[in-house]
Amino acid sequence: MLNLLLATVESTAHTAEAAGPIEGLKQTFMHFGVEPKYLVMQVISFLILFGVLYKFGIKPTIATMEERNQKIADGLKHAEETQARLAAAQQESAAIIKAAQLEAQKAIDEARKTAKDFADKQQTEAVQRSADLLAKAQQSIELEHKKMLDQARGEIARLVVKTTEQVLAKKLSDADRAAYNEAATKELSVL
Amino acid sequence: MAADKQTKLLAKQLFKLSVVDGVVSPEQVAGVLGWVEQRSPRRPVALLKAYHHRIAIELAKSRAEVEHAGPVTDAALKLIEGAMSQRYKRVVTASAKPNPSLLAGLRVRVGSDVYETSVAGQLAKLSV
Repeated sequence: MLNLLLATVESTAHTAEAAGPIEGLKQTFMHFGVEPKYLVMQVISFLILFGVLYKFGIKPTIATMEERNQKIADGLKHAEETQARLAAAQQESAAIIKAAQLEAQKAIDEARKTAKDFADKQQTEAVQRSADLLAKAQQSIELEHKKMLDQARGEIARLVVKTTEQVLAKKLSDADRAAYNEAATKELSVL
Repeated sequence: MAADKQTKLLAKQLFKLSVVDGVVSPEQVAGVLGWVEQRSPRRPVALLKAYHHRIAIELAKSRAEVEHAGPVTDAALKLIEGAMSQRYKRVVTASAKPNPSLLAGLRVRVGSDVYETSVAGQLAKLSV
């Protein structure tokens, strides 16, 4: 078989070499039973089939693939953006948490300081109040003591005067009184 | 009934008319009372009360009430009259009033002024 085919090709080649390359190609096609009209019809039917396949098969498939690719690209892009946003959000939340922690610490420190100041103030006021109360109590005791002494002194003086009056009323004679009145008159006359 | 301002002012003017040379004149007082009786001014009772009050104060300034414990001579009273007349620049008459609670000494009262030289007064000063 192979030998037959080689012999055919060799004889065709000899014929073509003898009649030119195009004529040789024609003879080769003719030898293998290739008719130009059939070839044209097959080309046309292939083109029709290709057009039909392209319109109803390939084109929708390509469109679907492109759409899918676009979706995948969009998804990837969206995922990247989401990733970036997530990173930014994480960074922002970390910053916010840090700021909140600082703020909370500051508030706690301030509250501690205020509480300490308030306690110190209360203690100072309590000490001052107790000192005032003590001073007032001492002052009151001193006043009471002085009042009591004054009362005792007054009472003693009153008793002494009363006793003296009684003694004088008994002991003074009219002559003594007259002499005293004389002296009193002189005292009044020089006023 | 309390005297209003106008009545007090009238009583003051009548009182000034009643005093001659620093002494309440009985004739002037009689004239003032006759005028009040005759003219019958507004609110006569209040006017007469205010007038009486002023006359009584003025008369008290001319009297020296001498309270004493023990005997007081007339010469002593005259001496006191002279001293008070000189002090108040008017004629002051002294009247004696016994008061044994003074123990000894004198208490002279001229108007609202009191001069104390008694033993009781000196003892009272000690007890204060």
